[in-house]
Amino acid sequence: MPQSKVETENEVDYAMIDSNEKNTVMENTGGHAIDMNSLINQEDKLILEDEEPCININDFNLYYADVQALKNINLSIPKQRVSAFIGPSGCGKSTLLRCFNRMNDLIDIVRTEGSITIHDQNIYDKNVNVAELRRRVGMVFQKPNPFPKSMYENVAYGLRIQGINDRKTLDEAVEKSLRGAALWDEVKDRLDENALGLSGGQAQRLVIARAIAIEPEILLLDEPCSALDPISTLKIEELIYELKEKYTIVIVTHNMQQAARVSDYTAYMYLGEMIEFKDTSTLFTNPQKKMTEDYITGRYG
Amino acid sequence: MTNQVLTGDTATESVTETTARYLKTRHLKDVMTRYMMAVGGIGVIIAIVLIAVYLFYVVVPMFMPAEVDLAAEYRAPGDSSADTLYYAMEEQAEIGLRADNQGKLVFFDVSDGRVLQEHDVLPDSDAAITAFDAGDPSQELLAYGLSDGSVLLVQHRYKITYPDDKRLISPGLYYPMGREPTRVSEDGSAITQVSAQYDGDNTTIAAVTANSELHLVSLAREESFLSDEAEITRSDAMLPLSRRASHMILDVDQRELYLANDDGSISYYDTSDKSAPVLIEHVQRVVPDDVRITSLEFLSGGISVLVGDSRGHINQWFPVRDENNDYSLQWVRGFSAQDHPITDITPEYFRKGFIAADESGTYGIYHTTAHRTVKVVDAGISASLKAALGPRADALLLEDGRRQLQFWRVHNEHPEISWQSLWGKVWYESRAEPELIWQSSSASSDFEPKFSLSPLAFGTFKAAFYAMLFAIPLAILGAIYTAYFMTPKMRSMVKPTIEIMEALPTVILGFLAGLWLAPFVELHLPGIFMILLLLPVSILLASYGWFKLPDKIKKQVPEGWEAALLIPVVVLATTVAIALSIPVEKAFFGGNMPLWLTNEMGIGYDQRNSLVVGVAMGFAVIPTIFSISEDAIYSVPKHLTTGSLSLGATPWQTMMRVVLLTASPGIFSALMIGLGRAVGETMIVVMATGNTAIMDMNIFEGFRALSANIAVEMPESEVGGTHYRVLFLAALVLFMATFVFNTAAEVVRQRLRIKYSSL
Repeated sequence: MPQSKVETENEVDYAMIDSNEKNTVMENTGGHAIDMNSLINQEDKLILEDEEPCININDFNLYYADVQALKNINLSIPKQRVSAFIGPSGCGKSTLLRCFNRMNDLIDIVRTEGSITIHDQNIYDKNVNVAELRRRVGMVFQKPNPFPKSMYENVAYGLRIQGINDRKTLDEAVEKSLRGAALWDEVKDRLDENALGLSGGQAQRLVIARAIAIEPEILLLDEPCSALDPISTLKIEELIYELKEKYTIVIVTHNMQQAARVSDYTAYMYLGEMIEFKDTSTLFTNPQKKMTEDYITGRYG
Repeated sequence: MTNQVLTGDTATESVTETTARYLKTRHLKDVMTRYMMAVGGIGVIIAIVLIAVYLFYVVVPMFMPAEVDLAAEYRAPGDSSADTLYYAMEEQAEIGLRADNQGKLVFFDVSDGRVLQEHDVLPDSDAAITAFDAGDPSQELLAYGLSDGSVLLVQHRYKITYPDDKRLISPGLYYPMGREPTRVSEDGSAITQVSAQYDGDNTTIAAVTANSELHLVSLAREESFLSDEAEITRSDAMLPLSRRASHMILDVDQRELYLANDDGSISYYDTSDKSAPVLIEHVQRVVPDDVRITSLEFLSGGISVLVGDSRGHINQWFPVRDENNDYSLQWVRGFSAQDHPITDITPEYFRKGFIAADESGTYGIYHTTAHRTVKVVDAGISASLKAALGPRADALLLEDGRRQLQFWRVHNEHPEISWQSLWGKVWYESRAEPELIWQSSSASSDFEPKFSLSPLAFGTFKAAFYAMLFAIPLAILGAIYTAYFMTPKMRSMVKPTIEIMEALPTVILGFLAGLWLAPFVELHLPGIFMILLLLPVSILLASYGWFKLPDKIKKQVPEGWEAALLIPVVVLATTVAIALSIPVEKAFFGGNMPLWLTNEMGIGYDQRNSLVVGVAMGFAVIPTIFSISEDAIYSVPKHLTTGSLSLGATPWQTMMRVVLLTASPGIFSALMIGLGRAVGETMIVVMATGNTAIMDMNIFEGFRALSANIAVEMPESEVGGTHYRVLFLAALVLFMATFVFNTAAEVVRQRLRIKYSSL
């Protein structure tokens, strides 16, 4: 498989989003890009240190051939919360996200050091069954990627590859997942239609349904709304809000408002380094690092 | 342009000017490209349509009905009060001949009935003509049976000269046995039936006398080596007859004699031994009880007998050999387009067609092997009693009850072509049963071409089948591995290499297959089969061994290059299989597997067989299928594969469930283009098969494909002839097959694309 292609594709996308982002920031000239009131008015304050950790990242380094993309990352991602990674293009946030389900394995030249543990197991251990890991750590990509099959088969895909073909089990799982992804009412009468006929927002929710159908513990969202219109984005954000009841969610986003809206905790990364990881309201209202403040106030990005 | 905008404010004016000019040229280019593409596309369509039109243009005349037109009508020339015995025409259909029962022979101009010469053939005796028959039309022999028990043979001959560069045909008579009649019946009883053949050396006269005796007289002419003198040896035979014969015919080879009897039976004699003719059988009930045989005639070639009866039916019979090598007369096919008693049957000289005249003044044009009633014509006369077809089957003389003679022009170019003769089983003369045969030419001139396209179409599909059997698994699996599992560097070497194979001229592949591979396969047949067995087994074993190897060694091989390690395994397995071939052959197959297959299994073996063609043509087809399907698999969007992998699917599951599904339109068109190529491929099938048109799926036998047949036979076919047109029909069939295939493939592909493509 030509893994090099994956990389290039992402780079192109970054560049595109980069310019979009600049525009957004520039529209809000002089002021804060974030609706501060909503952050300050959060009812109960979250404290990172009190959370039960789900993913522990220890001294993690990642290299693309000779280029170091992640530098000595140390992080604990809390369980059943929404954690967001923000940072300028090329800072390594997507790379880090992909490390959690080892999607980086698909790139030949990637080399890693350090450990990432989920439930006290280092997922980079050579005994780890990657397919099983990916079943537990689901992922949704930037571009909606439904398979060219019926909607039903799309959602049932994760179960079928595990050898579950019992119609009743599948029916239940499909309905449950589609309800979970807030898509059921829109598609319940046309489940046998090709999923390629869905709109972008619907397709992305279908992909989320597909991801939660196999009941993962962790859900990784890699810029899930960047290819969607505002209304679809809103729906996905509402969905994320509901999903955190059951799943640990890690989301990478370029959209700081989105991070502010949906996440409980936010990490700011810059040039492969983890600059700051705090509860979202603290990070946006009272960042500890100058670099973070510069970024969130739109001085660069 | 942008540079200028950025660099100078002063240049603004020139900028707008150049911009305008640029936009103009851009627009011009755009328009030109659009038109050129349209012209190109339409040109391609026109070219294809023209090819189809030309093919149809050549083929269609074969299926046009025959045309006849009445060229002249006049009183029967000569003594029109005498009954006509026989009419004939020479090859150019300019001069006709009329024989009457007074012994007069009249040559006349067929266009107006003008008498050119008049002869009296009867010797100066009191004998009257009591029987008459013409020999095979090509011998131009007339036999008169006389009331004194003798037979007179006369030949009408035509000499063509070119005085002043103009063709002049001068008719004349020749008496092979002399002016004096040959005495047949010793007791002088009158001849009631006569039939004779003369081939220049040997003459056979068969005669039935009034006292029911069948006489057979053979006159063999032997030339002495030393002098010019010829000696004639005569042998006589006599058989008593129990039935009354109404018609008698002797075949052109003087070996078979048929008598039609009044009771509706036919007696079939073998006269190869002139001194002792043998009755082979009485065939009872050739016609139903209340029906009489009214006409008996040989078809051209002297094998088939045509029996015309009082119902207006004509039935074809010929001797068929059974398992014991004994002949018996068999009914082959019948024609029932006319419904009045048949009065005369006149066969074509060179084809298996004939014209039958009946009492109602109607005549029918028929072709036997095609089982085709070409045309039934109402001549507009009270009764047509005598008919004579010109040697080129392009002219017809027809005499009615009032001795009025009609001269017809006949345009009947391709009577031998019918749906049945092209695609169905046809019972050819001298064959034991109806068969599908392609045999367009032979050394013998009286041979009937057999144009069945079925064995050729079968051969084409057999070739394509075995080629695809070999090519599909290799090409598709190779494409999957190359596109999906191979490292980019290895892929960048493998793919162009396989694509270069496509540029290999097929004539080289055919040459190698025919001259190197075919003998090699014959010599190492067990080895070839062992390769089929050993190769997968050794590959699986090697993979398992690799899997079990410690990591340390595995790390030595760069990732994705493991497949390269299989090369020595494949080479080794092949070598071992070939090396073991001869010992295995000795141990199990008596030292010669092809012979063993033939003798023990009853499977025929040709050196140039479908296995060889399958491999060679597989090689020609593999690059096409591989290249297109590899592209299709490679271009499956990566977000689909990552999507599947991120759901916990293994690479194999991803490949089977997502990648192949998404690439299926491309893979399907790859298969169809490959199939199209295999069907149309010519050089390999010409060179690597025996080109025998047999219908047998046996992988060890050859075949003859449509394309190979066209390539081989087109140079030797006569332009505009039936053979030529049938070859064009074969091309048309090939064209249509490809067209139908491609259209069906495109329809399916479009549907698949709508269903599966996510692009």
